[in-house]
Amino acid sequence: MRSGRAWVGAAFGLALASAAVLVLIPLAVLIRTSWVEGRGHLADVVSSPGFGSAVVHSFELSTAATLLAVPVGVAIALALRDPGLPGRAFWRVAVLLPVLVPDFVLGYSWLMAYARAGLTSELFGFAWLQIQGPVGVSVIVAANAVPLVYLIITVGLATRAEPTTERAARTSGAGPATVLWTITLPLLAPAIATAAVLVFVLSMGTFAIPQVVGAPAGFATITTHIYADLALGSNPQGFVEAITLALLLIVITLIVVAPTEKVLGGRLRIGRAAARDTDWPSSGRITRVIVTTALGLYLMITSGLPLLALLSASITRAIGVPSTPDNWTTDNFLTVLTPRTGYALGRSLLLALAAASILIVLGSLAAALGRTPGGRSLSVLITLTLVLPGSTLAIGLLIGYGRWLADTVVIILIAYLAKLWALAHRPMSAAVDRLPPASLHAARVSGAGMPTALATVVVPLLRPALIAAWGLCFLTALHEVTMSSLLYGPGSETLAVVVLNSADLGNVGATAALSVLVTAIVVLPGAALWVLTRPHAPRLSTHRPRA
Amino acid sequence: MLLDSAPTGREPDRHSRVSTLLELRDLSLGYGSTQVLNSLNLTVGDGEIVALLGPSGSGKSTLLNAVAGFLPIHSGEILLAGRNIATPRKAEPPERRDIAFVFQDYGLWPHLTALDTVAYPLRRRGVRRGRARDQARDILDRLGIGALADRKPAQLSGGEQQRVGLARAMAREAAVYLFDEPTAHLDAPLRDLFLAELAARRRESGAAAIYATHDAAEALGLADRVALLIGGRVIQNGSPQQLYSEPVSVEAARLTGPASLLNGTQSRILVRPDWVRLGGDRTGVVVDVWFRGSYTDYVLRTSEGELLVRTAAPPAHERGEQVRWSLDRCWPLPNTEAACD
Amino acid sequence: MGRGRRRIIWLAALLQLWLLTACGGSNPSSAQSITLYTCVNDTTIQPVLAQYQGTHPGTKVELFRAPTGQLNARVASDIRAGGLKADVIWACDPLTMQDYVTQGLVGGWTPETEIPATVRTPDYVGIAMLYLVAITHQGVKAPTSWSDLASAGKVAVPDPNLAASALGALGFFGPKFYADLKEHGAVQVGTPDDVTTGVAQGTYDAGITIANSAYAAQKKGSPITITWPKPGAVAIYGPVAISKTTKNAQAAQDFISYVTSRDGQTVIGSAGSYPTLPDVAGPEKPKGAPVVYPDWNAVTSHKAALLEDYAKIFGG
Repeated sequence: MRSGRAWVGAAFGLALASAAVLVLIPLAVLIRTSWVEGRGHLADVVSSPGFGSAVVHSFELSTAATLLAVPVGVAIALALRDPGLPGRAFWRVAVLLPVLVPDFVLGYSWLMAYARAGLTSELFGFAWLQIQGPVGVSVIVAANAVPLVYLIITVGLATRAEPTTERAARTSGAGPATVLWTITLPLLAPAIATAAVLVFVLSMGTFAIPQVVGAPAGFATITTHIYADLALGSNPQGFVEAITLALLLIVITLIVVAPTEKVLGGRLRIGRAAARDTDWPSSGRITRVIVTTALGLYLMITSGLPLLALLSASITRAIGVPSTPDNWTTDNFLTVLTPRTGYALGRSLLLALAAASILIVLGSLAAALGRTPGGRSLSVLITLTLVLPGSTLAIGLLIGYGRWLADTVVIILIAYLAKLWALAHRPMSAAVDRLPPASLHAARVSGAGMPTALATVVVPLLRPALIAAWGLCFLTALHEVTMSSLLYGPGSETLAVVVLNSADLGNVGATAALSVLVTAIVVLPGAALWVLTRPHAPRLSTHRPRA
Repeated sequence: MLLDSAPTGREPDRHSRVSTLLELRDLSLGYGSTQVLNSLNLTVGDGEIVALLGPSGSGKSTLLNAVAGFLPIHSGEILLAGRNIATPRKAEPPERRDIAFVFQDYGLWPHLTALDTVAYPLRRRGVRRGRARDQARDILDRLGIGALADRKPAQLSGGEQQRVGLARAMAREAAVYLFDEPTAHLDAPLRDLFLAELAARRRESGAAAIYATHDAAEALGLADRVALLIGGRVIQNGSPQQLYSEPVSVEAARLTGPASLLNGTQSRILVRPDWVRLGGDRTGVVVDVWFRGSYTDYVLRTSEGELLVRTAAPPAHERGEQVRWSLDRCWPLPNTEAACD
Repeated sequence: MGRGRRRIIWLAALLQLWLLTACGGSNPSSAQSITLYTCVNDTTIQPVLAQYQGTHPGTKVELFRAPTGQLNARVASDIRAGGLKADVIWACDPLTMQDYVTQGLVGGWTPETEIPATVRTPDYVGIAMLYLVAITHQGVKAPTSWSDLASAGKVAVPDPNLAASALGALGFFGPKFYADLKEHGAVQVGTPDDVTTGVAQGTYDAGITIANSAYAAQKKGSPITITWPKPGAVAIYGPVAISKTTKNAQAAQDFISYVTSRDGQTVIGSAGSYPTLPDVAGPEKPKGAPVVYPDWNAVTSHKAALLEDYAKIFGG
């Protein structure tokens, strides 16, 4: 039986090797290209028209999205603690709806729902004319970040803010609001900070939504700027400029993230078992009505209507014709349901499965090493590839590994791992502190080797976080378009290629049909699994309280 | 359903004239389909400590949580100082009840120092920060843990944490204190320390308390009155001596101290270890000998059953030895008018 | 976790492994296979490839298709990772191709063909045409000339930073045309397809877009009107060229010869793109519709200045 220290060393080694392959080499390649070829032109890049405003816009967007998404996510997580909330099981799943809608149709679905001549205009007679612009972009980005915040905070609640601490506060004279302010939120601070950093970083690197919703109003971000550079980047200068911009994006993000990581270093250790569902306080009836109504409205606005618009587009004959039964057709689906799509979809599903599974291992690794100084640097490092626009990361991978891995499925998998490592890491880090070190030692001393000990003691405790992280990574990888369409070759065509093919034809109907298809393929088995595993649902609902 | 009078029909003398501070009337409470408390009745008088004694799962924590306001009640009512604080329809929130709570798992706040933890209730009452901290320091000093004021829970041992929890409750200056098995995680010396402090505080302030525990010795030693809670009901309520000497059932007997049950002619007979004497006209064989320092326990096999005998003397008999014994007193179970042998 | 579920998970894991090992790697370009990089849309390229591989059995065409931006990224990355992997490149505008030629990546050979000299150079030959036309939402007055566009209502224009066709239009019209549009409330969207979608939806009243995309939408039933305004629709051609470092010169030349031949052009025409060879049938084009051809050399040399001026009008 190897000593604990040997295992820590192995873990570090694995993390380091992964970081080298996934993050350091592509970044080094990109930096070298930018430096060697673009060194003299840095001043040109920075002073090019629109660069300054793009930077400002990116910052504005990220700040706005964070300030919107975090409070909403926290509020929803707190509201859904109430064990007696009507329809609670439903709400807990419904909150995650935005994650189901792929990035590539997100902008369109909101426009089709709320812009001039959209769904609300048809149904209710009004439209949100300002949607195309900074406000619209911020709202849409925020709405899609809320599920992420919700997941991280829920994990944090299970770990840190235990019912006893809240009861102790109530019985010491604090009303519900005071308890929230003095006890619950301070205990959630690490989780809130981790979520905020993630939202900020993701917003800095978001491309599809500003492109579709912001560009028409002249609201360009660094990411759209980079895309434009590449679009006209058939000459070396444009290409290098794009890379330089992407690296600047990283530097800017680093400046924001690194100090926050330092602040998060101090953690509160609690080594007790998870709080039982029934121990959380129940709210009064009026509060419940308000909460339920608010939740319903929120979900309708942020998920319901856009999804409806998407569905409507997928069955409507053409853009611009009203969505009435005589204009309904299955043509869009028929166009899309070809064997080629089938293969591509199958490949994407398997790639996403593989990526998600490997990612939760990598994410847990980074989370476990999180408290060591090396670990903190690692968590900052992996954030960089999350921010890096997909096209640039793909370029780095092509230049670095293209000689051997171009046109293979492996390079696409590497791309997913590199990009999404941070996405798997954050939910895990919010949960890892919950591990009582004693239980791991107890397992080893009872004769379990490290792998067995991990599987039997650690994994069950971390299961909610693992499932959340896995689901997030799976869906994000499945919906990924930019990198997959750049890295593919014959034989490694993924869904991305099919999507871009139909999008390129301006065929919104077909693209909508595709996303409905993809969503159905994900949701239906998921729903079936959920229904089937209900009887085995442990602990949470009918546990008998201690007397 | 038994009312909260002792089976002999008398209220304990000492406190028969006190006014009732806390009253639970026909309290019923459950989770989902499980009924935990069944039409329970209990009163706590001014300045009285009532021990709530019962096995795990009997509803002790549930009762305390209901009184504190953490759980809604299904039927019945709770009155504090004559005022209704909880009914199925309307319940006062915990922060407005004149109640303090000491938790089994301490319930300390990981992000606050001991000082700020104890100052918390004072701040909620509107005391200004500086004064609250001074008063909190006083309380910590009185409990002998003043030196720990600036430590956070992660830096405190179990016993120290529990004392901080007690200090916090004291800062509340409530009319009724609720203790949810506070010594469950403490070792014997710490437990005695805690109980000693509790007793001292009680003498000072005269506040009333409900003390939940599954430990008979703790309950009998600490309380003015003991309420035996089994299956969500108070099946016996009386002075410690009453519960020890005159338990109302076999289960009650087992819960309130070491019990031997002999087969009598009409019913079973409860014999406490201190009710038996060695020497006499009855015989038995020694099965086990336990030397406990200040006393010795012998387990005898007799014709009427197994018997535990406790003597103050060092061990004088061996396993397998035949000895003589006699009864000083006994108690028939279930309680009938039949005399016991 | 039930045993059934565990088995499924093991099965999935095994499948993953199999997939990853089995489906990796592309065939190295053999004498019988060439690699084609293109940004031409899928509905055009697939029939062309099918027809070619049908008439040339034994030759396999490995395809990489992506929008221009990603095509550029792919080419640039290839160069820095051991050399361009494509044997043939079929671009969507002359500017991009000219840049490739300038970098010494493609060119040097063109086949014998009747395709007009206006759309070819010694290094590459235009094989498909794109026309920028005006579209209007049902009920909006259609402009008869480009100068009428400004008064059509809420106008959408494609981004010259994203689409070379828009850049060509910018080069042809000049910034003043766009300044005028902006003054009347015009909005810049992304690609020409975004314009089509927006105008069809009704989000915008009118816009400038590519003829193929407009006719395709109209055929499906979108309520739009298409006009070829005076002095003419802006024409952009998509050229094909041979890679200078190809290891399959003969096969590559065969392919290029095919797509410039009457057979190849016919397939292109029936697939929905406008052929460059005269007298070959193509998608809808009104009789006598006016067409104008931008001066691509001028556009190339003034690209930076054009974009800078444009940025002042429509923002970054």
